[in-house]
Amino acid sequence: MHGTLNDQSLIYLQIAQMLEDDILRGVYHEEEQVPSTNELARGYNINPATAAKGVNLLVSDGILYKKRGIGMFVAKGAAETVRRKRRDAFYNTYVKPLVQEGTSLSLTGEELLAMVNRAIEEGESK
Amino acid sequence: MSTGILKAVGLCKSYGSTEVLHNLDLEILPGKIYGLIGRNGAGKTTLLSILTAQNTKNSGEVTYDGAPVWENAEALSHICFSRELQPTLFSGQNNLKIRHYLRSAAIYYPGWDRKYAQRLLAEFKLDEKKKICQLSKGQMSMVTILIALASRAPITILDEPAAGLDVVMRERFYQLLLEEFTQTGRTFIVSTHIIEEAASVFEQVIIIDEGRILENCPTDELIDQFRYVSGSEEAVAQATAGMEVLSVYQVGRHKTAAVRCRGKQISGDVDVSAMNLQNVFVALCGHGDA
Repeated sequence: MHGTLNDQSLIYLQIAQMLEDDILRGVYHEEEQVPSTNELARGYNINPATAAKGVNLLVSDGILYKKRGIGMFVAKGAAETVRRKRRDAFYNTYVKPLVQEGTSLSLTGEELLAMVNRAIEEGESK
Repeated sequence: MSTGILKAVGLCKSYGSTEVLHNLDLEILPGKIYGLIGRNGAGKTTLLSILTAQNTKNSGEVTYDGAPVWENAEALSHICFSRELQPTLFSGQNNLKIRHYLRSAAIYYPGWDRKYAQRLLAEFKLDEKKKICQLSKGQMSMVTILIALASRAPITILDEPAAGLDVVMRERFYQLLLEEFTQTGRTFIVSTHIIEEAASVFEQVIIIDEGRILENCPTDELIDQFRYVSGSEEAVAQATAGMEVLSVYQVGRHKTAAVRCRGKQISGDVDVSAMNLQNVFVALCGHGDA
């Protein structure tokens, strides 16, 4: 029932992730206000408590901060914080499964690295 | 909105020689939307009608703000149980009109909001001069939703409000519910069989099974305790050792287990995937039927 949310992970994590994506892409810049808990709840048809949980996660990570009586704002250096946080998770969420799948296809380490290099080259030539 | 706690302690209820609620405890805290889910015949409607003193109990106690609700007009005026309408009454067809239901709700609920009721009547395209027996199943649900919302009761209970509604109307219902909740902080208990589309609306979920409360906790915390683990028989057995396995599907030598891992790490040569509320419900209440 909710726009772009799915049921593959917890709703509040998805809310946090969407806000992080928007900060990385520059939809919301530093010191800009993000939608309120109630706006998020209305926009995605979710319980306001769930939306608040997602927002509070980003507050505790130093990505958003609260201006009393006004709302939630993007913290200074938030994009960099998100990047650092995702880089820390990158190994587990992307690299490990990549190697795992490669191993079950009997790809050698060199073959795997060659493919990664090729992808990098193709990405750069675009 | 300041409201008390609605509390049931040690509820037992039998119909004839069949006990349908077994020593059941439940606490409804103010300012939350509760989802009540359970299989057919699990005791949902019986529980809700006893919570609102519309049905007798064999033993136990229901209190609101510390005072028993039975024959307690003051407490009951704070609690709205909008029951499913029936096309027939004892005497035959239900010839009461929508207008009659609205008028009695206005008398019964001190907070009744006539303007809100009129607005919803117009939105739902309901004609208050129509008789209940002339309404479709969906329209009857709309009347119960309208009464529940416009009652402005601090605790509002909806039994199967989604029954008979088309998907657009169901989405609209949850929108209206969230709007009202955001503005007022009223407490809602909503029972439904269409679980997944309501999961993100429920802050708290109550699962009732065979007359017992299995769970009453935050929806996301409950969902996060469960995982599907699949792979070869041996790998799954190894990865899930010491965990509560709720059900197992096996195709050939490939096995998928639904486990309650309660945050424990699952490792090994297995695929691990998340569940949604509906999956959790089936795992807990399926009893091997699914």
